[in-house]
Amino acid sequence: MSVEIEPPVKKAKTFANEDDYCNKIIDKCIEDIKNSQKNLEPVLSDDFQKSIPLIKVFVGIIKDPKDLSRTVLMLNEKIPLKELQHLKRIRKKEVILCPTNFIIGMSSIQQYIECNVEELKDTFQYFKELDVPLSPPKVKQQFKEWNKIWSCNFHPNVYLEKLVSGNFFAPTELNLHRTYMEIAFEVSRWYILHLNLNTNEDDVFRNINSAVIVDPTTQSVVAVSFDNRDANPLQHSSMLAIDNVAKTQNGGVWSTEDINPDRTLSGISEELLNYLKPRYPSVRFGARKFISKCDISSDEYNGNPSDGPYLCTGYYAYLIREPCVMCSMALVHARVKRIFFCFDNMFDGALKSKSKLHTISSLNHHFEVFTGFL
Amino acid sequence: MVDFMKRALELATEALVAQEVPVGCVFTIEENIVAESRNCVNITHNPTRHAEINCIDFILHYCKTNKIDYKCYFTNITVYVTVEPCIMCAAALQNLKVKEVVYGCTNDRFGGKTVLDVSNFCDHSYELTGNLLSIEAMCLLKQFYKGTNPHAPESKIKKKKDS
Ligand SMILES: [Zn+2]
Ligand SMILES: [Zn+2]
Repeated sequence: MSVEIEPPVKKAKTFANEDDYCNKIIDKCIEDIKNSQKNLEPVLSDDFQKSIPLIKVFVGIIKDPKDLSRTVLMLNEKIPLKELQHLKRIRKKEVILCPTNFIIGMSSIQQYIECNVEELKDTFQYFKELDVPLSPPKVKQQFKEWNKIWSCNFHPNVYLEKLVSGNFFAPTELNLHRTYMEIAFEVSRWYILHLNLNTNEDDVFRNINSAVIVDPTTQSVVAVSFDNRDANPLQHSSMLAIDNVAKTQNGGVWSTEDINPDRTLSGISEELLNYLKPRYPSVRFGARKFISKCDISSDEYNGNPSDGPYLCTGYYAYLIREPCVMCSMALVHARVKRIFFCFDNMFDGALKSKSKLHTISSLNHHFEVFTGFL
Repeated sequence: MVDFMKRALELATEALVAQEVPVGCVFTIEENIVAESRNCVNITHNPTRHAEINCIDFILHYCKTNKIDYKCYFTNITVYVTVEPCIMCAAALQNLKVKEVVYGCTNDRFGGKTVLDVSNFCDHSYELTGNLLSIEAMCLLKQFYKGTNPHAPESKIKKKKDS
């Protein structure tokens, strides 16, 4: 999603004008997020797409419908459908025999049947090749489409149905998510002013890239960050945010000038915190108290299994822009629970535009991704 | 080449002793080591502090203090790392346009080539070679995963053991 920005009329600008320009864009984004009537959209794996992946199979047309159940029993035993379990084996007088590539090395499907299920060699009137759905339908909508091609088995999953309903978040939840995204823009505004950045209109969008990390269990902002890649190419906003969360857990490696002596608040610069608090009086700031292993005596430990925060486990990340590959994987390592972003990153976005890292099943942690704030 | 990987393995062993995931890394320019480090995720509570990221930060700092253009500096660097760089580190090394990466064993869980080929996302890609002293690198990992990560919360460790 891109935002329409009116090109500035004059080319030559003073500092004040540029600040003003930047402020106006941020104001507009915040305003638009506030007024958005849309629910947020999940970024789902490609299996949720409308187009149906197909596979070619042989179908036999049965001579005598009375033989159907006996035939299916025999086929299930001798030529099980395996990966195609989601398909019903019969449709009227048609019976799925096997994928067409099964008969490699044989002259015909008739020969294949004779070799594998001798008893059925005279059961079929004729054979044909047919395209059928390769994978099981994930949601009702797909189930309907799949069924037009071939009858499928399907067990709806309540959570997935809700995800694709276009109505996932309740209004109160939406308000929270929008507020945290607004804070991401406010963080950018503060850093641009604070660092006296000379942002011209071309790189306003590159430079306003911030992250806000929230603990949803306490509804509290744990850490924030502002992209610093021009000074250090590793310091994208997500990488910085992860380090700022580490600071709330007695860790962190990248120093900041004014680290808060209160550890639970050390994920946010003190000055910035003073700027944000009056603007968002209803928002809480700070992490749950970190419990290090050494702090807990062993009997206490056995008595109370509830752990303090561990990395970004259970946290939500609000990012102005879709993160790049490096940042997306960093957020996997950090075990973030959900990621919300505002703008697509067509250049190297790894959660929607160029790849969907969170849908790679072999990774050991998976977060959910939502967008559609504007 | 082998000597550099041997040094990386020493660093990985250091990590194991410190109860960190044993991965070590050295950056070289023209057969000289210019940076070396190991994984330090647990002590920093920052899961991105892999050996490669630490080396990158070291070089960035070095270039800054000596007023060297880091963009140019990285293009001469060959990386020796005991385990195939993860997706995050592979992307970072690629963005910095390092010359070459040599690794020990493959990384089936997070590999920036094996799990997701990061070179598809960038215009630049470095030369990548694997399987240098891979058995030694794998042995260290096995030793680590035989034990449990002492820094993960108790409940997580239990879950791991149960599954
Ligand atoms: Zn990034
Ligand atoms: Zn890595």
